[in-house]
Amino acid sequence: MLFNSVAFALFYILVTTLYFVCPYRFRWVILLAASCYFYMAFVPIYILILGFTIVIDYIAGIYIEKEQDPRKRKLLLVVSLISNIGILAFFKYFNFINLNIDYIFHEFNWHNPIPYLTILLPIGLSFHTFQAMSYTIEVYRGNHKAEKHFGIYSLYVMFYPQLVAGPIERPQNILYQMHTKYPFNYQLMTSGLKMMLWGFFKKLVIADRLSIFVNSVYNNPDLHNGTTIVIASLFFAVQIYCDFSGYTDIAIGCAKTMGFDLMKNFNRPYFATNIQDFWRRWHISLSTWFRDYLYIPLGGSKVSTGRRYLNLFIIFAVSGIWHGANYTYIIWGALHGLYSVVYVIIKPYLRKESENEFINTITRMGNTVITIGFVTFAWIFFRANSVGDAFTVIRNLKSFGARPFMGDGVSNFAHSLLAIAILFAVEYKMEFIPQRFNWFTSRNIVVRWGSIALTVFLLLILGVFNGGQFIYFQF
Amino acid sequence: MRQRLVLKFLFRLTAFCVLLFVLDRLIGYGFKTAYFNQQVGQFSQTTYAIDSARADVMVFGSSRAVRHYSTTIISKELGLTCYNSGRDGQMIPYSAAVEEVSLNRHKPKLIILDINPWELANNPSKYEKLTILLPYCDEHKELVPYISEVSEFERYKLMSKVYPYNSSIFILATNALFPKSAKKDSAGYLPLEGVMTPAYLAEYTTRMQARYQRIKVNKEVPEEKGIAYFKKFLDNTAKYNIKTVVVISPTILKDPFELDNQSLEKKLVVDITKKYPNVTFLDYSSDARFNSQPQKFSDEFHLNRYGSEEFSTGFARYLKANRFVE
Repeated sequence: MLFNSVAFALFYILVTTLYFVCPYRFRWVILLAASCYFYMAFVPIYILILGFTIVIDYIAGIYIEKEQDPRKRKLLLVVSLISNIGILAFFKYFNFINLNIDYIFHEFNWHNPIPYLTILLPIGLSFHTFQAMSYTIEVYRGNHKAEKHFGIYSLYVMFYPQLVAGPIERPQNILYQMHTKYPFNYQLMTSGLKMMLWGFFKKLVIADRLSIFVNSVYNNPDLHNGTTIVIASLFFAVQIYCDFSGYTDIAIGCAKTMGFDLMKNFNRPYFATNIQDFWRRWHISLSTWFRDYLYIPLGGSKVSTGRRYLNLFIIFAVSGIWHGANYTYIIWGALHGLYSVVYVIIKPYLRKESENEFINTITRMGNTVITIGFVTFAWIFFRANSVGDAFTVIRNLKSFGARPFMGDGVSNFAHSLLAIAILFAVEYKMEFIPQRFNWFTSRNIVVRWGSIALTVFLLLILGVFNGGQFIYFQF
Repeated sequence: MRQRLVLKFLFRLTAFCVLLFVLDRLIGYGFKTAYFNQQVGQFSQTTYAIDSARADVMVFGSSRAVRHYSTTIISKELGLTCYNSGRDGQMIPYSAAVEEVSLNRHKPKLIILDINPWELANNPSKYEKLTILLPYCDEHKELVPYISEVSEFERYKLMSKVYPYNSSIFILATNALFPKSAKKDSAGYLPLEGVMTPAYLAEYTTRMQARYQRIKVNKEVPEEKGIAYFKKFLDNTAKYNIKTVVVISPTILKDPFELDNQSLEKKLVVDITKKYPNVTFLDYSSDARFNSQPQKFSDEFHLNRYGSEEFSTGFARYLKANRFVE
């Protein structure tokens, strides 16, 4: 079920109403049943895969906690991790690995006997697998107690707002909330609904609008000149941000209306002044997951300089693979790994803050533009349909300056620019003057209701209502 | 206390919904007024095609129809009135929709449908773009099934009076602020002025050939729904026994459909038209007067004014010589 569908609107109203009408002790049942239904709206049979990992991790968690022998504890953790990663690898990477085997066999004129899988990837597999893994790791580390209530544990993995595209929660942040009795809270309900509205705005008005132009260019990269490609790539940078952060806002807002507090996943990443800063602001739940469960176990920064660079590179390369079984994602991850290593090397030589505020502002703006440039260049690989297409796009950049293609006409292009301008204004306000122009929360009811109504009508007037699913659902 | 909070929330939510409802009607009325008062541009053309056109010769199709068929020349050559109901970015479902509404009002002497084989190929955008019919659904209920192709919920979204004008604000605003910015059409005909350069043609040809190497492995799969709309268009003409000419207008490359991996769709166009005694199929895609003649094209898809006038003259004279209309 897509958030941007009428079916979800009806589903949300029904589930939230039932949630508050039911006695506390039955609320987890309502949420779990709703989450199962939400997940089964995609491919019903895949609920069994989710059920399998839930059972394995639930049992593993309890036994890891009970077990005193460190070797057996480790073994239980490994079993849990292998079953999670095994399922992820099988569904997500089997065909990719097989394709590579095919290439190698082809070089030697051998026949590859392994057939390809002809099944769809379970939706959001990478997200709920990582969330499940964080549970067993935290129990193993002794940072969290094993959850004894099977229903609550299942809900931890399956909580519908964040089931298919995160934020990837840690048990410390969310499991206790599943036990908490949340009465109806007027403030949380209204602020959650406003957050959802802004999420829908980002998705429907900005991301889906920009996708029209981006798709027409990236689906025919050989037909477009450098100017068009630069515009399309910048548009894609905004599109993917609004698509994913829009989803996250809807997820966090939706959970908030029921009293739950999900972690922040984005913090205006395009105001980042360097690549490290970007990753502190982009997909925070995944970045911190890799930091806690991969970078630090690899030794983090408490190792030799060379090893530190390697560790940095590894986490970004793995992040690329996490996104998808395609060399485009691997190159995207590797590029970010490279950026990060280079940044760590050059960081000591970079200009320190000046005493002149004007120079500082100009430097910050310049750094932001450079960061956006590098990030956008990497997005080319992320968006291109194949590595070949990505290189076609890069080759065509040489004709930068030629007259750009306007897509479906000036109207769509103008709506795209208007959408970006609105986003920039809102993000600029939130980044630099957070205390001003808070119209959604103004004490003046005319301003408050007026701004919400304006957002609703901008959605109706500028929204693209047939834009399809969220990009990150495929991961 | 908690109950009071719930009641407060429900009361305010209801009040806010009432406010939205009232504003929706007011803003929707404003949009409706602005939309239907357009004197120039494609909105006014569509409004005229759907609500008023009563010409002897009616042209339907995509942007290639709008840009290729000079209504002035066709009128002059045939001695009949002519209106071009084509629309940029649209395909056969739109043509079928506008034709259905038009024929409910008026039966022309001749119908011209400009078609491209890609209209019968898989391309979801041909349905997504039907949302431009939303402003007309209130008055023409027969259009509702067409907009339901966009999504099953589209008919319910029509409960909003603002939603039908979705994505039209830029054009409405520019037409209002800069009334001279929109080109005035000549009974629906809007020629393009640019000229394609020989260098661009050479580059385009190379790109298309390279693209063909990539796409030729893909199996051609014509779209059943697209075919059904094409047949529906022709069924309507047969129902009223209206002489109809289905045309593939000139293309810059000779018979480019193979390069586009759409030979199967082209064959379907030919085969389907043969089944209708009132329908004649004319193919100009291999016409040497236009193939590889960049000076007659504005871009890779469209003739320019010069090319379209030459095409319209030749086409109208052919219709006259072969007594398509008495």
